[in-house]
Amino acid sequence: MGSRIRDNVKHLFQCFCEVVGQQSPDKEAWIIQKFPDSYRDEGVLKSVPKFAYPCDFANTIVQHYSFVLTSIDSKWTFGFCRHDPKTETALVVLSYLPWHESFYKLLNHIAEINSSCKSDELWRFLDVVYHSSVPDPGRTLHVPFNNGRDTFVCPCPNQFQLPSIPENRNLTEYYNAVDGHNMMVIFASMLYERRIIFTSKKLYRLSACVQSANSIIYPMNWQHIFIPVLPMALMDYLLAPMPYLVGVPAVIYQRVRKADLGDVVVLDADNNNVETPFQDLESLPLDVVNSLRRQLRNRAALLGDGVSRAFLRALVQLIGGYRDALKFHQGQKITFSPDAFIESRPSSMQPFLRKMLQLQIFQQFIEERLEMLNNGLGFSDEFEMEACNYSDKSSSKLKQQYKEWTYTMRKEGSAFFKTVRNKANPAMKSAVKSVKERGKDVRTAYKGIRSKLRDIQPREGLGSIEDGLDENDKGDKPQSAPTSPVNRRRPQTFAGPKTSAAASFRKDPLRQRKNTDVNIRSRPYNPLSPSSDPGSPEVLIDMSHSDTAGLQLSPLDMDLMGDLQDVIFRKCSSVLDTEDTNSPPVDRTKESGDLIRLDSTPSDEDFDPLYSKDKPLSVSQTLPAATASADSLANPLYPYFVPSVGKSSLTYAGNQSFLYSKSQRRLNVSERMPEQRVQDSSVGQTFSALHPCSSSNALSPGQYNVQDMDLLKEYGLDFKSLSFKNGGPSLRPAPPAPLSSSSPAMSSSEAAARDLFENLVEFPDSTLKSHSKNQWTKFD
Amino acid sequence: MNHLENNTDCYFKVNTKSVGGKLVFTALSTVKLVTDMAREYDHLFKLLIIGDSGVGKSSLLLRFADNTFSGSYITTIGVDFKIRTIEIEGERVKLQIWDTAGQERFRTITSTYYRGTHGVIVVYDVTSGDSFANVKRWLHEIEQNCDVVNRILVGNKNDAPDRKVVLTEDAQRFADQMGIQLFETSAKDNINVEEMFMAVTKQVLRSKKERKERQAIQNNDTVNLRKGPKQNKRKCC
Repeated sequence: MGSRIRDNVKHLFQCFCEVVGQQSPDKEAWIIQKFPDSYRDEGVLKSVPKFAYPCDFANTIVQHYSFVLTSIDSKWTFGFCRHDPKTETALVVLSYLPWHESFYKLLNHIAEINSSCKSDELWRFLDVVYHSSVPDPGRTLHVPFNNGRDTFVCPCPNQFQLPSIPENRNLTEYYNAVDGHNMMVIFASMLYERRIIFTSKKLYRLSACVQSANSIIYPMNWQHIFIPVLPMALMDYLLAPMPYLVGVPAVIYQRVRKADLGDVVVLDADNNNVETPFQDLESLPLDVVNSLRRQLRNRAALLGDGVSRAFLRALVQLIGGYRDALKFHQGQKITFSPDAFIESRPSSMQPFLRKMLQLQIFQQFIEERLEMLNNGLGFSDEFEMEACNYSDKSSSKLKQQYKEWTYTMRKEGSAFFKTVRNKANPAMKSAVKSVKERGKDVRTAYKGIRSKLRDIQPREGLGSIEDGLDENDKGDKPQSAPTSPVNRRRPQTFAGPKTSAAASFRKDPLRQRKNTDVNIRSRPYNPLSPSSDPGSPEVLIDMSHSDTAGLQLSPLDMDLMGDLQDVIFRKCSSVLDTEDTNSPPVDRTKESGDLIRLDSTPSDEDFDPLYSKDKPLSVSQTLPAATASADSLANPLYPYFVPSVGKSSLTYAGNQSFLYSKSQRRLNVSERMPEQRVQDSSVGQTFSALHPCSSSNALSPGQYNVQDMDLLKEYGLDFKSLSFKNGGPSLRPAPPAPLSSSSPAMSSSEAAARDLFENLVEFPDSTLKSHSKNQWTKFD
Repeated sequence: MNHLENNTDCYFKVNTKSVGGKLVFTALSTVKLVTDMAREYDHLFKLLIIGDSGVGKSSLLLRFADNTFSGSYITTIGVDFKIRTIEIEGERVKLQIWDTAGQERFRTITSTYYRGTHGVIVVYDVTSGDSFANVKRWLHEIEQNCDVVNRILVGNKNDAPDRKVVLTEDAQRFADQMGIQLFETSAKDNINVEEMFMAVTKQVLRSKKERKERQAIQNNDTVNLRKGPKQNKRKCC
């Protein structure tokens, strides 16, 4: 809806063209060859030469850039171009995927094959690429060529991550070309939906800057005319009276009669200069501008996603309050209240927020979120996470905690895991190793580990180990299992829903890390807990079919729906109180049947190994649905990601969320008082993290294998985090920042959690089974 | 161009109110441009045509436009425009009519979209209730947030009575309620198309003249002073 990237992309690219440039003034550029031959979109094919040779330009170095075509449904097709001074042709790949780095690499490879004059080989290669399934985000594309003797390897971007420098070529170029202040002016101009022209002599700079300017208003998307590289033939379109964002090559811009343009904002990307007739930056709330300026001034912090995040935070400050403006009444659709939105922010900001309501980019953003919510899709992204952080600043202590976890864990996470990994406990290492070797038959190993664990009494911090494992799995190189200095821990037996920690952690690694490290014992993320609840046994079944080694999860794959729902439901708690207390607000699990349709219908045909595998187990009616929806990890915000068949890692991830929500359901059921919900669930979560095994009695025997895999991870996790929490100073790696804030008052909440858990496990299986959902939480 | 015309007065006033060579220069160059354009036409109006995909916006434009040879780019860059110069009451009016792709995805079309335009042609398909519903919503939105925009309501594909679902009475009632004109057209059979475009052009022209008169009556510095410095800033850079 808001996004202009297509979903359900079936092919990596739509068409490859080789285009000959303009040889003489009367002869236009034309396509000399294309693949596949069946591609027949005449409108596009007619345009490609124009965009591949938009104007006269200096062809002195190999140059990549992208242009964008917009179809009648307003969706974008990206044209990735490669110009080489050594050849007289441009290579163009048309794709629905905005994967700049990947396609630039692909173009280089195509150029290599092309220059060797083995056209058969090129066609064979293109054929294989064309028919390859679209890799999951963050994964790597492998394409054999040269009769299988070589392999083209190309990483695919992880759409859950903010663009970072220097990995993201577009943003890096934008950042190099344009200083922080001018980026802010452009940002402000976009927030006023101006008519904006970027100009540069260099095509790659032009397209990179335009693309980045759009990525910087994430989570919103530019809804108006968007032409990163404007060909000479379309110069007149600069007269459009509507908002636009257009990249105009300098030679073309020189020919434009400026007086005809009217009020436009012009960024000269070659000279880092903005001309604007407006005072847009000055009209933004001062708070926002100041903090943005401060962040952009801190040069050292801008590597990585610093730039993206600075702008994201500015947007959170501005529009993050939309969460407080969501209104929900039982039986009705969730709606957005403009008044509440404006009131969500201090009065100094309110005039600007009133203007924001009149922005198409904001309207579409709200529409998109509402549609997902009303369809029972949750969503998780960096924006929601930052929004939590922001809103927590001023609210409850517990929220504050969560915020700290988010921040610190994001910052410290990777370093933390490295340390832990390096200091892995040998016992744990071997245990995990053995499990891995045995594949599905992990039960014994699991038992062994359990006994070991019992000795070392891992308690809290299952999560971090889990994360560590995730990372292991993610990495290409084999890594040791994470461990911890076990000896220093208090002895304790394991008795808890074993799956929970692993599941939830994998689902939401960041939060988990936070959680475990900081203070899992002190009712971790209270307001957020509904979404972060550990999973339930049934889901584990999926895991038996999934290959843990393939597990790969984006650390940014978060589900903050729970938080959002909590916000919504808290508001209508009075309504809900009068209703069936047995189905508290958070209980939106009934619709899980719909969920699959809503969430993953498009991808149904694409994946499904799990579905069929799950069936025989028939753990629950909803399992297939849940699996499916879980499988389509596909965040609706990133619609181009459709999981493909046989990607077990994804399944795995999905399972976790599934688990997660199931146990959440249990928590809900156990609650009687809505106002206690938050606390209860968080305690439950804590508890389940602490007692990973105790839920096993709720499982049918056949489910153990699956769980074992998970359990191991859990235990591994536990070790790891323990090393931080309880481990002796000598063994402990330098404690990361989050640890310092861990709460000492754990035992009481732990006990409470245990009680709660006992309640939970009493529930009949049917209850548990029928209310499963994946990370896209559902409610009506 | 539109911008220039609109602001011609403004430049002169800036010039007279301000001291400084730069400003004088700005005003002079502006005057020259205006003179150049005046040879072609007396007014340039930019209009938008909005409505769901498939209601026949492109067909209406093709019926109307001079420059049909230029082809359509709506399917490649998501935006298209057509030009035609017509004469109304002895004045030459150049019309640019702009269309963008995928408007039906907007539940509301916000005021920023209309900001630079003189008028909006709102098209639905008389055989599609959905397209009429969208149009109603958008017009309400314009009513609430963009008070100065001229609007005209067009029910296209009015050539197959058996398939007509949006009754003329309903549409007319709605148009009256919104205080706008309704035209039922058929781009296919070329019915009422010319009349519709002429009507909207007249309306835009009339409101331009009214605005000028109002400005002449007020003839105050307040607006110009506020506008002036900004304009100059841009021109001087």
